[in-house]
Amino acid sequence: MTSTAVTEQNKMDLAREMLAKLVDRRVLAALEVCVRCGICTESCHYYRSNPKLEHTPYYRAEQVRRVYRQFLDPVGRAFPGWFGAKATADEALSKLAETAFASCTLCHRCTFECPFGVETAEIMRVMRSVATATGYGPEMLIEIAGAAIAKEENADLFREIFLEQVKELEKEVQDSLGSSKAKIPVDQKGARFLYVPLAGAHTIIPQAIIFNVAKESWTLSMFDTANYAVFLGDAEKAKRIAMRIIKEAEALKAQEMIITECGHGYTAMRWEAPKWFGRPLPFRVRNIIEVLDEYIRDGKLQLNPSTNGEPVTYHDSCNLGRKGGLLEEPRRVIKAVVGDFREMTPNRLHSYCCGAGSGLVTAPEWTDIRLEAGKLKSDQIRQTGAKIVVTSCDNCRFQIGELSEHYGLNTEVTSISELTAKALV
Amino acid sequence: MSTFDMVAVGVVLAGAFVFIAGLIAILVTAQRRPYGTELAPIKGSPSRGVLWAFTLGLAPWAKESARIHWLAYIRGAIFHIAIFVGAAYLIATPWLAQIPEPLRLVLAVLFGIGALLGLAGFWIRLADPIMRFLSTPDDYFALALTTLFLASAAISAYTIEYLPAFWIISGITLAYAPFGKLRHFIYFFYVRVFLGLTFGRRSVLE
Ligand code: SF4
Ligand code: SF4
Repeated sequence: MTSTAVTEQNKMDLAREMLAKLVDRRVLAALEVCVRCGICTESCHYYRSNPKLEHTPYYRAEQVRRVYRQFLDPVGRAFPGWFGAKATADEALSKLAETAFASCTLCHRCTFECPFGVETAEIMRVMRSVATATGYGPEMLIEIAGAAIAKEENADLFREIFLEQVKELEKEVQDSLGSSKAKIPVDQKGARFLYVPLAGAHTIIPQAIIFNVAKESWTLSMFDTANYAVFLGDAEKAKRIAMRIIKEAEALKAQEMIITECGHGYTAMRWEAPKWFGRPLPFRVRNIIEVLDEYIRDGKLQLNPSTNGEPVTYHDSCNLGRKGGLLEEPRRVIKAVVGDFREMTPNRLHSYCCGAGSGLVTAPEWTDIRLEAGKLKSDQIRQTGAKIVVTSCDNCRFQIGELSEHYGLNTEVTSISELTAKALV
Repeated sequence: MSTFDMVAVGVVLAGAFVFIAGLIAILVTAQRRPYGTELAPIKGSPSRGVLWAFTLGLAPWAKESARIHWLAYIRGAIFHIAIFVGAAYLIATPWLAQIPEPLRLVLAVLFGIGALLGLAGFWIRLADPIMRFLSTPDDYFALALTTLFLASAAISAYTIEYLPAFWIISGITLAYAPFGKLRHFIYFFYVRVFLGLTFGRRSVLE
């Protein structure tokens, strides 16, 4: 056997091993239940934007299913031709990786359109893990996840820079509120909230303004909420990235961790992290939108919706909405802070993905794919006649900004926090 | 009882045995797989989610896909209802003579429609290039078996003398079910429960 053949064999063994480990009851059921009826075909934004075989949810899942039949199903292995089991080779694995990473945003929309409820996204998530473990994970995602881990390893070095940056941002908050008492607290032990932003002032300044107005007891996290290892399906790295913030919250004895407007960051910490660590987290996890909703309900913010007078539409981030359960909270906040709110159709559970979810936004080589897949979203936005698209996820925000340019939508994209801060009286 | 009748009884009993053994094997295999128990605090209601998964979550009017593929959706729904009633009918066949004739006629019509819809399934599968491309021999064989099962159920409900033929076809169908595509009926319940539990807990389905 040549050394290439040996490597290939090792990869196949590893792929089989990973698949055997990761196909849990939920994924097994998703693999087994599909009857290849084709009813889900149009539910995928990829297919709607470019109708072809490879863009149907069941084609994607079927590619993994055939490998599963070969690796894990004794009946499939005994009669491969009859049951569609397929021995996989290196080349096939790389193709499957491409499908899992670039041709499915794990948006879960097709699940709710399938008469059975097949979770194609879960199948593709497992495929991503297998691909990453066998060396087919996308470079860019690996680098970003690695950088997040390096930040913790070199925390002291980053702390200096971070504190300086916070000082600058604090000045902006003070200018905006006309008060030198406004603060961006850092390392505040016993604060009610640990607020976890993203890399970008737009996820710190508006929220700091709001927290100051609401007289909140809070402290800013040194880390950001993005966890790109989740997109890679790399459980170990995802745990390490999440653990940085968990440790920080525990050290500060925060009662709550408030995640900024980041779809996957919220879902990972709110819903997945307790599963990863096998225990509930010792603090409550909420999204900033839930906090804004609470402030508005409790009358903590004086708002003037006419400040945001232009027509506004809301894009449901798949992670925050369909997978995270935040469907009504954003709408309540938006209605309180804008004068003219228009829904896209369909929305909420049936909302279309923007085309850039689950890490697609990161790799330049996927730009054309995601812009094409986002066509449906751009059509939806255009139909509302909105001038402002508000979304609660930075990935979606970036994509919709690009869609606006690409499809000539002439719309501005912003977040709920920014609109809320703008509407403050 | 003629020899043919006895063979028919033997086939259906053997099929039922394989079916039950296969069913147990499937359930044991599935239960042996890990299940990532949700540990995050609840936001919605898992039990309401499960209820949704078996009621509104299946409602065609709530699905854009059902509006697009309304014919296939209705075909699938009636076909599956006919199969489930057919399974119950199979259990009741030893007492077939006691079943009132009007009811037998209703059943014969339902099974007959089911069988026709089974035939339509071939046409749908072959006419759509994507479905044709993705279909396996198992898909066609499973469809053929269930169509035959319904056709023979219809005939036996109408003319009781054909009951042994129905038993033989049922035996073969039952014996095949745990191995191929037909086993999806077990996983259907798993999938719906998982869907309801996961997304109900997250208050996605309210
Ligand atoms: S995923 Fe569902 S709708 Fe799509 S082909 Fe499979 S069973 Fe049919
Ligand atoms: S999860 Fe989303 S992107 Fe993936 S196949 Fe389904 S609809 Fe398409």
